[in-house]
Amino acid sequence: MDRRHFFKTALFAPLLSPFFVSFKSTKKASHLYLITDSPQRYISLILQELQRHGLIDGHNFTLLNSFSFFEDLKRTLHQEGWKHVQPPFHTNICFSLSRLYQKADPSFTLVKSGKILDIRSKELASLWLQMNRNNNPSSFLTIVSFKEAKTSVRSGKHVSVYKDGRKVDTIFLKKKTLRSYTTERGKVSVRVEDGKAWVSESSCSHKICCLSPPVFIAGERIICAPNHFLLEIEGSAFIDTSIG
Amino acid sequence: MIHQLVRKAFIFISLFFFFLFICCAPKEKWQTSTLIYFDTVCEVKLHCFPSEFNSYQKEVRRVFSEIEIHFSPGARDFSSPIVLSLYHKALNIYYDSNGCFDITIGSLSRIWGFLNKSFRIPSKEEIEVVLNFIGMDKIKEEEGVLILEPSIELDWGGIAKGLGIDLAHQSLKSMGIKRGFINAGGDLFCWGKNPENDTWKIGINHPRENSYIGILAISGVAAATTGDYQRFFKIDGIRYHHIFNPQTGYPAKGKQSVTVIGPKTLICDALSTALFVSENPEKILKKYPNYGAIIVDSEGKVFMFGREYLFRFI
Repeated sequence: MDRRHFFKTALFAPLLSPFFVSFKSTKKASHLYLITDSPQRYISLILQELQRHGLIDGHNFTLLNSFSFFEDLKRTLHQEGWKHVQPPFHTNICFSLSRLYQKADPSFTLVKSGKILDIRSKELASLWLQMNRNNNPSSFLTIVSFKEAKTSVRSGKHVSVYKDGRKVDTIFLKKKTLRSYTTERGKVSVRVEDGKAWVSESSCSHKICCLSPPVFIAGERIICAPNHFLLEIEGSAFIDTSIG
Repeated sequence: MIHQLVRKAFIFISLFFFFLFICCAPKEKWQTSTLIYFDTVCEVKLHCFPSEFNSYQKEVRRVFSEIEIHFSPGARDFSSPIVLSLYHKALNIYYDSNGCFDITIGSLSRIWGFLNKSFRIPSKEEIEVVLNFIGMDKIKEEEGVLILEPSIELDWGGIAKGLGIDLAHQSLKSMGIKRGFINAGGDLFCWGKNPENDTWKIGINHPRENSYIGILAISGVAAATTGDYQRFFKIDGIRYHHIFNPQTGYPAKGKQSVTVIGPKTLICDALSTALFVSENPEKILKKYPNYGAIIVDSEGKVFMFGREYLFRFI
């Protein structure tokens, strides 16, 4: 696949964007773009070769979506000694499949640090020829991302305590502490242990703050609205808000 | 010479005041407030002038209060336009989901003790009796009034919050708010860009762990999650949650959480319940081509169906 062909194909793939987003800040991330209707036939050989060149570490993989023939792919990889793991565990390789808006010739392309690499080495040359010999245009693009699927989740070091919007205290998360705060509307107790902070007691009627799970990731918060009380883990947040 | 000096001084002073005006002019900032409505914490974050934030907050309160008045458990308003409008929307989803989403499950919530938090496992006989009063086809509409048998109890909990968020968003948008989000305990609408001038990054809580299953990168769309971990009780190690299968009368099985993403919060809200209950969620979702779902099954496996929105696992 030449550069022009690759970008033309990429433009017609609806699912590429998540990967550009997910690894946009990690220059060392590599992506393999495999155009074929049966990725399970070729993937083992390609991965072995990439491993030999030191492009892949570890033996964990994740499937990011659930097309039926991904089960075959999973089985093939299992036979080759790869271990399927589910989020939120860390994986070395993420597979995603998307349907192309228009069919394209079977091929594979490796993009490393934004540059297209020629991976048709001697070992893979025969595979390349084999794929192209069939010459049946394919409808599916498998994207394989070689990077730890870990995000920039950062545990905070301090928790800040706010009363009526004003910061009144900062607690080091590694220090086991129990502190009580009196607000104009009531009383709130904060417990810090094992790098996590939570509201252990509150005079409010809802008790939503007491039921909130401990916070430890930068940007996470526990709010006690009736007491105008807020706990926030210091550091820049990697999410804007959460649902669920 | 003097003229030139005066002219220079005039230009200098004008520029000084111009820059002073630019620097001192009020700027739009991110403002956040936390409200308690629908028995949950609601977070509102808007990009606006600080002096105007109060009026926006008031507007959100007004909308949410109105929703609470009309749709809280026990509300007996069956004729106002807002109730009829939401009833018609709920009825559409009821038929589209083959009855998996149903607002007549109020009596089930009651006998399982979710209304007054006196949790209990009802007997089979009790459930069988209550099942006779479940089904939206049992509600009649005559001359703009909903006619319910006295034993039918409505539970708007799976759709009203979504309506509240949609109405609040429309109102704020018409008032000129171009960026922000409203998050009412798991139902969210976000629009414009986030504080980093990027799409909004929305964490989807993990149903069993104190972490996220992943992050949605979205803007101009809604997302809603229904999970078996939000309201539940345990007896002998068995979890009994509040999402009932209207056909069996028991808590729906097979999933830990369902998140639906799409243009309307109301639809996301109701669909997340319908997909949670349904044994064939993909079939329901096909009727809503602009909506996508992230489903965590009972073993913790994550599946994605329908329209694809930017999502990354953690």
